[in-house]
Amino acid sequence: MKAIEVKVLTKRYGKAVGVEDLSFDVEEGEIFGYLGPNGSGKTTTIRCMMGLLRPTSGWCSVLGKRVMHGRATQHRRIGYLPGDFQIWPGRTARKSLRVLAALGGGNGLKKKREELSERLDLDLDRKVGTLSKGNRQKVGIIYAFQHSPDLLILDEPTIGLDPLVRQTVLELIREVAAAGATVLLSSHDLSEVAAVCRRAAILREGHLVELAPIPQIVQQGERRLKVWFANDAKIPPVPADSLDGIRVIKQNAESLEVAYLGSADAVLKWLARFGVDRIATPQTSLEDAFIQYYRREAGHEQ
Amino acid sequence: MNNSNRSPFPFALLKFWTLRMLPAWLLIAFMIFLFQIAICGVVHDNERVKALIQYVEMLPAFIKALMGGEILEVGNIAGLIAIGYQDPLVLLLYMLFAVGVPTALLAGEIQRGTMELILSRQTAKLHVYICAGLITIVGMYALVLVMFSGTIVATKIYDFYQEVPLYFFFKIAIVGGMLASAVGGIALLAAACFRRGMAVSLTVAFLVVEYFISIISDWWPRMEWMAPLSIFNYVDGPEIFENPGWPIGDMCVLLSILTISTILGGIIWHRRDLPL
Repeated sequence: MKAIEVKVLTKRYGKAVGVEDLSFDVEEGEIFGYLGPNGSGKTTTIRCMMGLLRPTSGWCSVLGKRVMHGRATQHRRIGYLPGDFQIWPGRTARKSLRVLAALGGGNGLKKKREELSERLDLDLDRKVGTLSKGNRQKVGIIYAFQHSPDLLILDEPTIGLDPLVRQTVLELIREVAAAGATVLLSSHDLSEVAAVCRRAAILREGHLVELAPIPQIVQQGERRLKVWFANDAKIPPVPADSLDGIRVIKQNAESLEVAYLGSADAVLKWLARFGVDRIATPQTSLEDAFIQYYRREAGHEQ
Repeated sequence: MNNSNRSPFPFALLKFWTLRMLPAWLLIAFMIFLFQIAICGVVHDNERVKALIQYVEMLPAFIKALMGGEILEVGNIAGLIAIGYQDPLVLLLYMLFAVGVPTALLAGEIQRGTMELILSRQTAKLHVYICAGLITIVGMYALVLVMFSGTIVATKIYDFYQEVPLYFFFKIAIVGGMLASAVGGIALLAAACFRRGMAVSLTVAFLVVEYFISIISDWWPRMEWMAPLSIFNYVDGPEIFENPGWPIGDMCVLLSILTISTILGGIIWHRRDLPL
């Protein structure tokens, strides 16, 4: 069974497009990355999945049930962390979490709450208004995880957290997934998506531009080649007109680093004409790939 | 959707919101209660009544109308006690509750960002609205009953030189409670439609205009035709005191306003995308 299904989902705000013709699904037990820069439509999609927004057209289903706007479709089984987590500032974290747990019929989550607060090193008895941004985000993490949900929808979960706590949160995500839960991880922090997700979707201006396993996403971006020329060789100018998609990343007296699209064949044939000492293929990061997706998509539109 | 997936009524939210609003309600109720006792404390003494009437006579006619008009006279104990039911301070306290509660609960939670959390639990959007509605409408009605209980307590504390017709005050309390609930319903409608600031502004503006129409139509015969346009016109104190029966027509109008505004607010709340 699919944990999440999104079918030709469109959400418009007046004339502005939130998302358009979006379709993807997430398998049960999968950690799915949902990538995109600010304003790309990630939060809009998530709010449609949660029944908080009414889609203009299309539909979503979560845990096998069609999402109805305004109704809590499967919310007892969902752990949700909004992108901008806010909670009652005048109450202690413990009291607020207790009220929210009771709303899902989830009384008696004390043990889990305590365990999470210990792992995240958070004092639940302080008023939320006195907590730092990072600690407030920890309250949000506990809120999403406290009832051991079958599906976690996390919108920018590590925002404002220090690197150590970020690692703890990523561990928590891996643990729940190992226990069978599905996780949709929305983020523009690519390293955290690469650290835990097997597949990811990339969104740009409300449209899906890629949906693939992480390694494939990385490979589909630009590839890089670093060349050290022989001592007496003069570094040749890059023939951008004859080698389509090639560009210089870095150049100095001994070496040249280029990025290219597609096959390395033409680049290697061109290099073979010169005295090459050695070559290296620097790893393209997900971040590079991600940026390339945006550059390429923008280029297509132009 | 099968029945097992229906969201149960969020009693936890109702309790949480009720406890949040309780201090404000208690404070307002206490002030209204004390005000009734204070008014009775003044009007049970003939000499003080004369002084009060002399003072009222010095005020412009529309302010006198605002405080009860021609029913304010020495010897009319019921009319004098009724000052406490329509004094601007008391009306202001009601307005504070009517406007403050639904806007704090619906628009306020949205503005704070906590409505998204509430709706992300097993809570239907309409149930959230019903919780806010119950607290507003029941709270308003309860305030009117507190006001009536203030009058009862005052009649036990003070000796009046004539019998206080508590039955008529009870009728006023019941009809007044309907008026208060209808005002709550209108505030609820505004809170369901707009952001907090706009909801407060519109409700206050509506109530001020309505009250103004009520006073103008009462005070200026040429404007009498406007009287039915004011929600306040449907609690007619002198009529209630003169007539032993219940003002069924006025009660139906108030009940209709409450029902229509609450249902309309519920539909809009359910259908609109909240500005989360």
